[in-house]
Amino acid sequence: MSTAQLRPPPAHTPPSPVKRPRRRWLSTNASHYILWALALLVIVGSVIPVVAAAVWSTPLYESGGHLTWDNFDALLTDRDWWTAVTNSILFAALNTAGSLLVGVTCALFLTRTDVPGRRVLTTFLLVPIALPGLVLIIGWAAMWTPAGFASSWLEANTVLSMPVDLYSIPGMAMVAMSVASPTVFLLCRGTLLSIDPSLEDAARTSGASPLRSLLSVSLPLMRPAITNAALLVFALSMEVLGLPLILGFSNKISLISTYLYDHWVNESQQGLVSAGAVFLLITVSALLVLRNRLVGDTARFTTTTGKPTGVRVLKLGPARWFTAAAIAFFLLVFVAVPLAGVFLAAFTSILSPFISPWSVLTFSNFSAVFENPLYTDSIVNSLLIATVGGALTTLAIAVLSVIAHRSRFRFRGSLQQGMLWPRMMPALVTGMAFFWSFALLDRSGAIRASLWGIGIAFAVRSLALGYSAFYPALAGIGADLDNAARTSGATWWTAMRTVVLRLVAPAMGASFVLLFVAMLNDAEPAVFLVTDETPVLGLTMLQLAATSIGGTVAALGVIQMVITLVVLGAGRALLGVRPRA
Amino acid sequence: MPSLQLNKLTKQFAEHTALHEVSLTVRDGEIFTLLGPSGCGKSTTLWSIAGLHRPDSGSIAFGDRVVFDHGHVNIEPEHRNCGVVFQSYAIWPHLSVAANVGYPLKLRKTPKAERDRRVREVLELVELGRHADRYPHELSGGQQQRVALARALAHPPDLLLLDEPFSNLDAKLRDRSRQWLKTLQSQVGVTTVFVTHDQDEALSVSDRVAVMDQGKVRQVGTPTEIYEHPADLFVADFVGTANILAATVVEADGAHAVLRVDGVGEPLKVPHTDRRLGPVRICIRPENIEIQRGGGDVRRPHHTLTAKVDNQAYLGDHYRYTIRIGGTPVIVTTTRPAATGELTVSLPPDDIRVFHEEADSNEENHHAPVH
Ligand SMILES: Nc1ncnc2c1ncn2[C@@H]1O[C@H](COP(=O)(O)OP(=O)(O)O)[C@@H](O)[C@H]1O
Ligand SMILES: [Mg+2]
Repeated sequence: MSTAQLRPPPAHTPPSPVKRPRRRWLSTNASHYILWALALLVIVGSVIPVVAAAVWSTPLYESGGHLTWDNFDALLTDRDWWTAVTNSILFAALNTAGSLLVGVTCALFLTRTDVPGRRVLTTFLLVPIALPGLVLIIGWAAMWTPAGFASSWLEANTVLSMPVDLYSIPGMAMVAMSVASPTVFLLCRGTLLSIDPSLEDAARTSGASPLRSLLSVSLPLMRPAITNAALLVFALSMEVLGLPLILGFSNKISLISTYLYDHWVNESQQGLVSAGAVFLLITVSALLVLRNRLVGDTARFTTTTGKPTGVRVLKLGPARWFTAAAIAFFLLVFVAVPLAGVFLAAFTSILSPFISPWSVLTFSNFSAVFENPLYTDSIVNSLLIATVGGALTTLAIAVLSVIAHRSRFRFRGSLQQGMLWPRMMPALVTGMAFFWSFALLDRSGAIRASLWGIGIAFAVRSLALGYSAFYPALAGIGADLDNAARTSGATWWTAMRTVVLRLVAPAMGASFVLLFVAMLNDAEPAVFLVTDETPVLGLTMLQLAATSIGGTVAALGVIQMVITLVVLGAGRALLGVRPRA
Repeated sequence: MPSLQLNKLTKQFAEHTALHEVSLTVRDGEIFTLLGPSGCGKSTTLWSIAGLHRPDSGSIAFGDRVVFDHGHVNIEPEHRNCGVVFQSYAIWPHLSVAANVGYPLKLRKTPKAERDRRVREVLELVELGRHADRYPHELSGGQQQRVALARALAHPPDLLLLDEPFSNLDAKLRDRSRQWLKTLQSQVGVTTVFVTHDQDEALSVSDRVAVMDQGKVRQVGTPTEIYEHPADLFVADFVGTANILAATVVEADGAHAVLRVDGVGEPLKVPHTDRRLGPVRICIRPENIEIQRGGGDVRRPHHTLTAKVDNQAYLGDHYRYTIRIGGTPVIVTTTRPAATGELTVSLPPDDIRVFHEEADSNEENHHAPVH
């Protein structure tokens, strides 16, 4: 009898009135256009004022002025600028070379050989990626500078000494390597794990020794990954601010970033700095575009079968102990000692090799932090930005991603590109872009006076990070699932809301965790946006560290590190979040 | 329940033309099958009907309601009121069976009590009443497929669209599901478009079949028409097994033609409406070739031939022999075993179909089904 009710009305009855599309106040397509325009305006459009400021004779917030090349003239004829450019290139080259050496070697040994303690070594190698960028630098400065604790201790108690002066370009490159090497390691390890072991087996059956088959088959297959890593590290080295500010600035070694910082903060040459930012933007974007080209090509090289099963482990014999010791020594110097330095500096009143740290243990650095409103404000502000900003950014990424990948919107391709665009932007340029944008569009200064100003800049900067964590999950959801919702009668937005976004909720959680950490620790864009009312943790620490490495900044570092690791740990336990290169 | 009209539907993907002026009429309440090899444009057609693809030109109407007309009308999929069963089933993993089936009703703001009643009713119909509270991952493939069907029937739809719904099931279950679907469809009476690449499936469930190839419709007809009077060599070859031989028409009067078949001694007189002479291809089904048994004395039809058996196989319910006629391998099937070594066969003229060789694009016009 149930089927009787399923039967359609007999043909002669008038057909039930066809349900007309209800007139919604905004059609799906119109909403796509609006969101697309807003997104591109914020993400890409904000750069335009930087370019404008570079070619305008007066600051954009003042009236008058005219088109001029004076800023570029001044920049290009400034000897200091060219010194900074040379230094930056030298720094980037040294960092890239060192990180490649360490990263690729570690990738080969730690994934493909029987080096003892591989898991522990790998974990330790990856620690710097999970940590806030400044923490390790503070540790290096406390331990390995000429007057640092570990250097002095070695001098006083052993025949050894720290051979490299950290207040030099090679020294800075060495510090940078401790973060860049694990990045290279991650990129290369992925490729190594995905290489089909049968390719090496084929070489072995043709008579090659295991080591030889590894070097002659797998190493060439890693070439794209290595090129990719090299360009990435080089591009990031060109724009990094914290490290040269802490180690180079006081010693009059200026890099592009510190040159721009100095001329902005101390000399208020905004036009000149904008011109420099345009230069930096072009350089870094060119490098990353080149990288994308090459990465695009990697499809030709991929031998991915998906699962890292059947990885062949090469037997090194007695050499494995030597290799493990070498890697462990590297990690001791580059990771363990600096990390210990942060804690030592944070929990002692004075850090000196001539006084036992145990005799000067104290919490006074932490009480100093909590008694100073600048520091407590910074922590509260950063937590606010990380929580609220992280959540809103995650939502924005989710909405833009479904438009970019799940709709028939005409310009969805540009939205996909747009979300990756911030990756190309040096952090300083992002900060400056929003400085000029707010100066132009928000004359009252209300946005900058609130946390929204810095929050938006941080959000745009971490957009690509969140998107790349979110996108794979979205791509993994079959298009049939939303099509089924559409044909069941759901509008596009309803289908997204009730099906797609529900299914990617865990990925949104993971994306939030990564954004939280990134926005909690970000500093560079705030250089241009910060006001007395809006200090943020990263920048406060950077400014403090630039003048002196003391117990207070180390205590801030420990606080920052603890929050970061707790959030990442929770994310990993609940959502399987992994640190990303 | 409206009928469905597709008129000169064309769809291009980059350089590739997926649909080439496809015109079809699906009658009220029938099961209409789109049959063709993979990649021929079946899903594209179905998705265009559902509104998930936007054709480049042409029009689509459900009864007198135009849902797509190039440049004028393009009703969104949510307003077309189709029920679609996807090849992947596309059951939402985060919703229970009942919530999956209730989703279309919820969107139509059906009151909760009525919605629950209707969900129960549809689930009973697909024999899943006891599984309403389960989640999709707790169901077998066949059950998931029925959930998808229940969801497609819930609203209830004006048109049921099924895209290779049984292709992920094992052979036995597939066969059962076909019969079950056919019964269910006749009970519900909803106009149904069914997509498959499996000719057995098409012949067994359909009221009418459209055979497609490379974005074009080659023939539309009942399963019998398609099988017994294929419009062209493609259809003959794709639907069932066909032996295709080279031949020459030496006489043709518009009702019959006299053929010389390579490897067959005497000419054959077969029914054929075309008057053209010259080289042709003929087609005959393996089960239509008659095996002459018995002693050498028995009077045989005058057009028999004897050939060596190249290959033989026993397939449980029938035997299959491969012989050669004029160098071309020919398959003969029979339910009773025949002598090994040599086989004497005859080609019954009534079962022979004749195809002139010509440009691809005109075939369907010249070879309208003979009936
Ligand atoms: N989204 C798409 N983009 C490009 N080509 C497509 C797309 N969808 C289908 N095609 C192509 O159109 C042709 C018909 O596809 P389809 O309708 O899926 O075939 P099938 O008959 O197997 O269902 C195929 O050649 C396929 O490669
Ligand atoms: Mg298909």
